[in-house]
Amino acid sequence: MSGKSVYLAGMGLACALGNDLPSAVAVLARGGVRPVPVAVSDGVQWPVHRLPPQEGDWKQRLERVVRRVAAQAEPEGTAAARSGALFVASSSLDIGGMEYTAQDLRLGGDLQDFAGLVAAALDWQGPVFTISTACTSALNAVLAACDLIRSDQADEALVIGAELGNRFTVAGFGAMQLLSPDGARPFGAGRNGLVLGEAVAALRLGSRAARWRIAGGANVVEGRNPSGTEASAVLAMCHQALAQSGLRPQDIGLVKVQAAGSPLNDAIEAMALKQVFDPLPPLVSLKSAIGHTLGASGAAELALLIGCIESGVWPPAGYAIDDELGIALSTQAPAGLRHILLNVVGFGGGHASLVLEDGR
Amino acid sequence: MNAGSAQAWRTVAHFAADPLPADWRDQLAHRLGRRPRRVGLWTELAMFGARQCLDAAREAALPAGARLRVSSLRGAWGATHAGLAQLDAGMLMPFTFMQGQPALMLAEVGRCLGWQGDASFALSRDPQQLLQLAKLGAASAGLLVGVVEEERNGEKPRSEWWRLVPA
Repeated sequence: MSGKSVYLAGMGLACALGNDLPSAVAVLARGGVRPVPVAVSDGVQWPVHRLPPQEGDWKQRLERVVRRVAAQAEPEGTAAARSGALFVASSSLDIGGMEYTAQDLRLGGDLQDFAGLVAAALDWQGPVFTISTACTSALNAVLAACDLIRSDQADEALVIGAELGNRFTVAGFGAMQLLSPDGARPFGAGRNGLVLGEAVAALRLGSRAARWRIAGGANVVEGRNPSGTEASAVLAMCHQALAQSGLRPQDIGLVKVQAAGSPLNDAIEAMALKQVFDPLPPLVSLKSAIGHTLGASGAAELALLIGCIESGVWPPAGYAIDDELGIALSTQAPAGLRHILLNVVGFGGGHASLVLEDGR
Repeated sequence: MNAGSAQAWRTVAHFAADPLPADWRDQLAHRLGRRPRRVGLWTELAMFGARQCLDAAREAALPAGARLRVSSLRGAWGATHAGLAQLDAGMLMPFTFMQGQPALMLAEVGRCLGWQGDASFALSRDPQQLLQLAKLGAASAGLLVGVVEEERNGEKPRSEWWRLVPA
């Protein structure tokens, strides 16, 4: 990519595994947690990887968790500046709060209100952007933040990916027959759908050199199949991300896959990855551990993966992989890992990739 | 090659559906050669404005390297309102849910422009900051930028689009 380099200066995470990144990695090392049922209507419930229970109403919980993950991403012993750009990435925004609001008072505000709540919780003084492109929201926010830093418009930016509990999204995905009634098994034999998850993640990006560099990325929307993975778009996003990073497929040492447990979409992704990579590099999936956290997933999975690598912990699959896909999930961190490709594919035909480079 | 922050930009076409023609949906269906199915009002408004803007720019399709950026404060207000009411009634319908998602709008707009590429839905209280962000890192194929609002509480609907390329 042209211009200044962009580095991952700090990160924070709250997800079903724990309220901070070290706790989440520790719980994952002990085998993880099971999703819990969420009722969406009489007699209809779906498993969801929920955040640990907290006191307070929806807004208070949002404020508390946002402050906590942002603090994790700050430099040790100091408070990060609040004057850079803030990117709030979310699919459901504040719909969870509206569920507790009287019908005639709902939707009285606008789609920037959620980012306003996040900014207020952080006492943010700089420009505030919302990015809402369903599952690719957080990666698109990272790409936009990179544009800003590379072009010298900012030295730092904070990306908050946030997907908080709400019945609307669970009911919507249930209505579209995309959810598993028992558990997510990405690339798994007998996989039967995805499991949603709640998460809030913070990624602090900056131009000052750090261990992890954002080497490149790409966003490709393909409208032909708005509810699923499109092979041509997977190929395009991988090739564009590699080209932007100045890398070849054989330079990638690990792919964090999208796979969420969908019978068809997982198969399309596996097939497309095999067209990009020959042989396939090691693959890792995180959605059986934290669920599909939708708009937060790009940030949440990036933070969890880096946390695992830096802690020497590896996410176990814990189920049999579908032989027909001709792929395997890695059972340990690849040796000599330098470049990681993170893929996120989503609702609305969004396909986004990010390439991370380990400078250590 | 990308067009950086110092890059000057040229407006190739600007389209504002103001006032929105009474037969705008028929015009869109005629232009596309099909009537959009299972999409909500907000998405249809976006498709209408984007297609008109590209036609004004004399482009049959958006170039592959161009960026598509859409903004809206109200979003798919009607579909979201209906979806919440359906949720209260215990029966959220799949197409109502989908019609409330900005990502689905991007997919349909891309499809009606014969295009696969970098599309995003972004918001800011400062439209100039948002436009500046869209330009940063954009390729030489430029941008298609739209602001799309449904009618609500007497506020007029809006579908206003700009086709921008580096000068």
